[in-house]
Amino acid sequence: MSVRLVPLPAPGERAEPVLELARVTANEEISPGAWRITLEAPRIAGSARPGQFAMLTVARRDESSPVLPRPMALYGWDADAGTVDVVYRVVGDGTRVLTTWRTGETMTTVGPLGRPFELEPTTGSILLLGRGIGICSLTGLASAARRDGIEVDAVISARVPEALIGSTDFTRIEVASLTEVTDAEGSSAVERLEPRLAALASASAGWDQVFVCGSERLMRLATELARETDAAVQVSIEARMACGLGFCHGCATGMVGAAEESPLVCVDGPVFGCTWDA
Amino acid sequence: MDRVDLHVRIGSLELPTPILPASGCFGPELGALIDLDRLGALVTKTIFYEPRAGNPAHRLGETSAGMLNSVGIPSIGVERFIAETLPRYTRWAPPTIVSIGGLSVEEYWRLAERLADVPDIDALELNISCPNLEAGGHEIGADPAAVASVVSGVRSRTSLPLIVKLTPNVTSIVETAVAAERAGADALSAVNALLGMSADARGGIAPLGTVTGGLTGPAIKPIAQRAVHQVVHAVSIPVIGIGGIATIADVIEYLMIGATAVQVGSATFTHPDTMVRLTDELSAWLRERGHTATNEVRAKLATARVRHELASDAPRAAG
Repeated sequence: MSVRLVPLPAPGERAEPVLELARVTANEEISPGAWRITLEAPRIAGSARPGQFAMLTVARRDESSPVLPRPMALYGWDADAGTVDVVYRVVGDGTRVLTTWRTGETMTTVGPLGRPFELEPTTGSILLLGRGIGICSLTGLASAARRDGIEVDAVISARVPEALIGSTDFTRIEVASLTEVTDAEGSSAVERLEPRLAALASASAGWDQVFVCGSERLMRLATELARETDAAVQVSIEARMACGLGFCHGCATGMVGAAEESPLVCVDGPVFGCTWDA
Repeated sequence: MDRVDLHVRIGSLELPTPILPASGCFGPELGALIDLDRLGALVTKTIFYEPRAGNPAHRLGETSAGMLNSVGIPSIGVERFIAETLPRYTRWAPPTIVSIGGLSVEEYWRLAERLADVPDIDALELNISCPNLEAGGHEIGADPAAVASVVSGVRSRTSLPLIVKLTPNVTSIVETAVAAERAGADALSAVNALLGMSADARGGIAPLGTVTGGLTGPAIKPIAQRAVHQVVHAVSIPVIGIGGIATIADVIEYLMIGATAVQVGSATFTHPDTMVRLTDELSAWLRERGHTATNEVRAKLATARVRHELASDAPRAAG
């Protein structure tokens, strides 16, 4: 079976992205190598939807390097407080510079960007499968689903237990179940995960939709699950980007299906539907 | 306070300000973030006659003070460009400059002919950094004879102002600049991206899908400024400076070197409001020094440049 990503049906009316000169209100390490930055960006916070992202410019306002801004999933947002949260892992030069940002500094921020996860009106129960930093695009979805009274089963995976992101947030919003698996414990292996998912599925009487981020292996697993249970799968994928708006064409997926160029992660995604070829 | 007149002329083309976007680093999508009516012109991504898919992923990389791209110029083809894309540019007040490319000399000619009578196009910029598939895939812009052929053929098919965007990936940029001027270019823009690449010590693989790509950003500014310096001394048509412009000092430097206008590329990715900010800062810069117009100052700066060179004992690069 080969998994294929397809753009979701064209979205309805959605807020235009905005440029905000966002004040940093917090930037701290929340677990080894993972940081949470909070930005005052009321217009982004007021119109963000689950699965959308923002471009965070790592270079200060009076600096021109690093040249490329970083596309970051919106971990959470508070329309009343006018703030957005981004959780990032320090993986290279850009994210290392990001850790040096202090409270009170002003960051070039563009958002909200991209197509959000779509919860179907009839959906009563969902499964979230996230791995590593990819978990960050699922936390907002979990909150939105809970607000709508949707049952949420969350499975989060990481290399080591310290790298599991979002445990307390998933617990706080009262997901029906939270399953934590790691490479270190061997519990993230597909052959060990599969039976646990099967047990979860029967306990929850099946899911209407499955959402995945952060792992191709989990995406394949979700798609197989979907084939058996008739759930629809949406996946959020990562790409390097320069503009985030669709004009630089730096983030083409290389996916088949478009008339000419393959879809762009920034405007045709980052959330795609998942289907399969037998 | 007197208003500062920022406008400049590029041949018969009048630009409200000398600060405009570089092709490929701009799209009407930016209108959600900044006021596009404040730009000197709107410059389209390079279009081709036929649709093109562009290069495989990854298309972007980051380097010290710069970035690499191997986007490969995807294009929806000229007919869809005219019907769907162009109106999104021409609804704004600044002039629309359409960047055209070709994989053969004839493709530029066909495009110029097709666009000649399309309303609301104010100028063409010829992107000659495209591989010539009829000459082993070498950049068309690296061969002065091919450049002359492209430009004269386009010239005979359209009365639109022609800007020829020079590639820096040549032994002598003066040769291609002179070839373009003689063949009928109204202006030159310099420079396009430098050919570069990166490798990843951890992965042992080239991060870009095509291995090599175009290097842009502050990293290339000294090379681009040298090229602009050489070109402004070799031709008598206006030159638009491009390469690593991110601050008002960069803009002033290019004007001092002799550029008539500048194009901002990668800096728009870093801070999408760069062009608007630089326009404000240029006004302030001029006003603080008692100037009322870009042109007037540019001439004075050019004089200062000549005086400086006459007075200088510093060794000069062979031109």
